[in-house]
Amino acid sequence: MASFWKLYRRNYSAVLGLVILALVIVVAFAAPLMYPDDPFRLAGKSMSPPGEAGFLLGSDSLGRDVAAGIAHGAKTSLLIGLLATLVAVVAGVFMGALAGYYGGWVDDLLMRTTEMFQTIPSFIFAILLVAIMKPSIESIVIAIAVVSWPAVARLVRGEFLSLKNREFVQAGHTLGMSDARIILAEILPNCLSPIIVIGSLMVATAILIESGLAFLGLGDPNIMSWGFQIGAGRTLLRSAWWVCTFPGIAILITVLAINLVGEGLNDALNPRLRERS
Amino acid sequence: MSVSKWIGGAVVAVGLLAGGQTATAQEAGGTFVYIVQPEPPSLASYLSTSGPIGLVAPKIYDGLFDYDNDLNIVPALAESYEVSNDGKTVTFNLRQGVSWHDGEPFTSADVQFTVMEVLKKVHPRGPNSFREVTSIDTPDAHTAIFNLENPAPYMLRALSGYESPIVPKHLLEGQDPRSAPLANNPVGTGAYKFVEWKKGQYVRLDKNENYWRPGLPYLDRIVGRFIPDASTRTAAMENGEVMYGAYGAIPNIDAVRLRDMDGISVTTDGYSMINPMSLIEFDTTEAPFDNPAIRQAISMALDREFLIENIWFGYGKPATSALSTNFSATGLYKEGLPNYPANADIEAAKALLDEAGFKPDSDGVRAKAVLDLIPYGEDWRRAGEYMKQALGDVGIELELRYEDVPTWLKRVYADYDFAMNVNYFYQLPDPVLGVHRHYGTDQIRQGTHFVNSTRYSNPKLDSLLAAGAMEADAAKRSEIYGDIQKILAEDMPVVNLFEMQFLTVYNDKLKDHATSALGAYGPFERAWLAQ
Repeated sequence: MASFWKLYRRNYSAVLGLVILALVIVVAFAAPLMYPDDPFRLAGKSMSPPGEAGFLLGSDSLGRDVAAGIAHGAKTSLLIGLLATLVAVVAGVFMGALAGYYGGWVDDLLMRTTEMFQTIPSFIFAILLVAIMKPSIESIVIAIAVVSWPAVARLVRGEFLSLKNREFVQAGHTLGMSDARIILAEILPNCLSPIIVIGSLMVATAILIESGLAFLGLGDPNIMSWGFQIGAGRTLLRSAWWVCTFPGIAILITVLAINLVGEGLNDALNPRLRERS
Repeated sequence: MSVSKWIGGAVVAVGLLAGGQTATAQEAGGTFVYIVQPEPPSLASYLSTSGPIGLVAPKIYDGLFDYDNDLNIVPALAESYEVSNDGKTVTFNLRQGVSWHDGEPFTSADVQFTVMEVLKKVHPRGPNSFREVTSIDTPDAHTAIFNLENPAPYMLRALSGYESPIVPKHLLEGQDPRSAPLANNPVGTGAYKFVEWKKGQYVRLDKNENYWRPGLPYLDRIVGRFIPDASTRTAAMENGEVMYGAYGAIPNIDAVRLRDMDGISVTTDGYSMINPMSLIEFDTTEAPFDNPAIRQAISMALDREFLIENIWFGYGKPATSALSTNFSATGLYKEGLPNYPANADIEAAKALLDEAGFKPDSDGVRAKAVLDLIPYGEDWRRAGEYMKQALGDVGIELELRYEDVPTWLKRVYADYDFAMNVNYFYQLPDPVLGVHRHYGTDQIRQGTHFVNSTRYSNPKLDSLLAAGAMEADAAKRSEIYGDIQKILAEDMPVVNLFEMQFLTVYNDKLKDHATSALGAYGPFERAWLAQ
């Protein structure tokens, strides 16, 4: 662990990313303390510019506090990002591991299925899924996971293909270990690093997809999120720029931070890049 | 003696109105480009009252009448009409020498076929507008005699080219009007001929050289452009690429900005025939909304002025009754009714709920419901978000649901799977045409859109509605509608929110586009462009 941190911190931008991400997480947890009221509350004069009428970042067309929305929206964005990624990674690992380990017709079946999902443009597919199920936090998580898992599955399959003939796996076979045990306890731990990297980058993509959906009006109308704020402020852009600018910056910074962290993890976990300076 | 109304004088009046606006004479020629938003599903105005069809089809099809801005009848395909003493026979004297765009002559057989075979059968509102019509006699090619079961004074308000387009018998006879090819290749008698419809881009109409109004139209060509994105529409209006956008084609927030620009104007005229009212429908058959007290409390707790000011940028008028104040011209609107405050009265709402037994639990919640929102754009979402807050303050906890149009229509009008639904209705120029469908027991028509979804049924109201439809005497009719509004203000199966004001944004070069009460749904036969 200590050596991992040593490797990680060599990449300054990755450290910066981690700091920003930590900040976003703190804001997400502190939101109920900073802005105890419902972020949908009509808090005062509508369309007040930043700094006026007691609004740090201004208010929107209904007089809702943009800053409160960003703070509460942080939780939504991170939560959806993490949940969707978790679901996608679990599904992707399951499919990829089976395909890579067993090969043959299992591989064919699973990979053809994966390819079918990969041929549909992911954002359009996500829109379709959310439009079919009614827009809610569950349907958004499901939609993002459905469009994200194929990448994980292909990666894991590749790792399994290259690892399954290695000596330690063959040793496991000779010792009479079950397939499940070999997959879970022997091979999987050895391909965790790329999974962690792809997972961390996927969180950023998931946040972007969620924002895009909310922007198009397919977000959960009962939950405050950054995409929702931008969607609500889009028509006001020329008369109240602050309504969508600040949530936009929040998305930009968070996604950038997660990408930096992902990059740092990749540098630290990938042995071939370890000597890179 | 038969009551006879000759309306030739109105022609002169309209002529003066059109000419009096500017000192200069009308200039002929030019191409007029306007926004049609969204792209219409077809151009069959005899099948659907869908808004975008209305923006195009009335320029191709005429009605028996048009209406001026004060809702006076202007002759169109009918030169004059007579109503018999008992009100049960209406004779239309049709214009001679009118031909369809394909050259066939227009006759009384077209009128008979249109009303009996098309409008009464497949038009959404036709069965109601013409419900008393039992048959139409055509003694000669230019006379159509409508025989009515009961007097139907409101019918004369429903004869515009938008509401009741007269369609060519020779192109529809023997076919199912729902699937006839006329839908996408309209042939009418109107000022403009259909030429081309480029899907996703524009629909083009050219001047009808043989139009029956001599010397008209002035424009050579009109092009309706489909521009899906709101900010692109605004930009196109700003740089003069398009000259006219109605029915919210330009969002209110941009319209307010364009209003202050040179060369662009904004008007709320041209919607008096449409008369739109925003409202909340309730499922009155199930708890909690089976209790009128909670519906009244909701009406009290919502700040109508806030909605108008903050979401519709000041365009609108708080509702004060089930009928719009536009009906005061005909004496049908009643003022001074209870339960319609312009500003929220939270305490009164809470008192009402307390009295009706809706006690707050430990979280202050008295009732819970899902609020469905009409999926026609951002404004309605904002309105829903406001209502969630405002009603939360009196202890009614809402969850918002926003679906696509077909799902929403099915939920509300076919499955009745809703509790509370934000919507808007066109009240049209007479309550029989636009308002009865919302409240009458006979209007509980599962599967039909925009009728009585609340399933409110009150025999006393039903008999008043029936009496109101048939009453020819203005004073008696006003009394009947006063009673109707009193009952509706007490029972509130629907909470009316505000009288909507749609905006038309137009380039000042465009003249005389608002000579019809139908505004953007009008024929545009007198419009011209200043060079």
